[in-house]
Amino acid sequence: MHEWALADAVVEAALAALGKRDPACLRGVTVLIGELQAIDREIFSFALETIVSEKPFPASIFHLETEKAVFRCEACTTEWRLEDSQTVTEEQREAIHFLPESARAFIRCPACGSPDFRLQRGRGVSIQSLEIDGKEGCA
Amino acid sequence: MSDPRIAVVAKRLSGIRRVLAFSSAKGGVGKTMCTVISALALARGGRHVGVLDLDMQGASAHLFLGVTPRLPEEKQGILPLPVVDRVTLMSVAAFTGERGLPLRGAEISDAILELLAVTIWGPAELLLIDMPPGMGEEILDLSRLVPRLEALVVSTPAVVSVTVVERLLSVLKELRVPVPAVVANMVQADSRPVRDLARRAGVARVVEVPQDPLLESAVGAPDALAASAAGRSLAKGMLELGYL
Repeated sequence: MHEWALADAVVEAALAALGKRDPACLRGVTVLIGELQAIDREIFSFALETIVSEKPFPASIFHLETEKAVFRCEACTTEWRLEDSQTVTEEQREAIHFLPESARAFIRCPACGSPDFRLQRGRGVSIQSLEIDGKEGCA
Repeated sequence: MSDPRIAVVAKRLSGIRRVLAFSSAKGGVGKTMCTVISALALARGGRHVGVLDLDMQGASAHLFLGVTPRLPEEKQGILPLPVVDRVTLMSVAAFTGERGLPLRGAEISDAILELLAVTIWGPAELLLIDMPPGMGEEILDLSRLVPRLEALVVSTPAVVSVTVVERLLSVLKELRVPVPAVVANMVQADSRPVRDLARRAGVARVVEVPQDPLLESAVGAPDALAASAAGRSLAKGMLELGYL
């Protein structure tokens, strides 16, 4: 499951942000999961827990939040959500799961049919915030 | 908000000894052909090679290699498609097939980063990257993200190609991307314009690949590509550059 590669990236990014500080300094990591990539939260959480078990901080510091995908057509300015893109097949959803930019090959503006649109938000996995303790030795 | 994928790119490429981006500022000079034939030559010489097609809007390495696009297998990441023994391929075509993929610059950067972050290259010790023409997101992102990146710059001897490619060589120098050689591709009689270009740019080697009218008929047939005159020239070039 490729959720593992993304969970690994989140943990590596947390380690990089922590630097040489005491692992206990890392208080919380909020991970934003964009709806478009359709990450399996259960697998992602399990991957995080498994990868973190070998790291110096607990899995409980990771908080997952979902962000709805919103598109905006450059041609007619219509905004729409992923559930409005009804013509996307299962195989195409799988392609978008692997590479969210694949959506540009499969999704069209539901109002005018244009391929010229932007994903406003809700792409994939990102770190929304990373909280490091402000106490002495953690700064 | 930060992008966690950046933190894992070096780890994904840690098993790869050298990364070579086949680049040109000019389209139609044979970058893809040189990339795939070099990969096949290296594999024949016993190397495990990954090919990464980063030409998002004109992906064609799979066509040259005779690979039918299909979704990749997953194994704690995604696995490149098998091509022939010791050669694998990752391409946007695995996801979108032969559909058009209209992308803006930031989306190209996102797609590059995603592929670098989630592709598991397995036994590959060399990574050959087929670059799109130009000096946009692809080379700028790679120069920042990919450790040990080198560029093999491809030009035909035509004056327009040489002139445009010289601009790329200048930018690569500023980006501090080493250029071990310039490939003089589709040489019919005189490769001097490319040799002069390499000399002006301070590039030590020129790999000369002759024009081969039979090459078109080898498209889609890896064995025929590897056995072509271009295959022999690029194998020699790879040997001289220490890749073989």
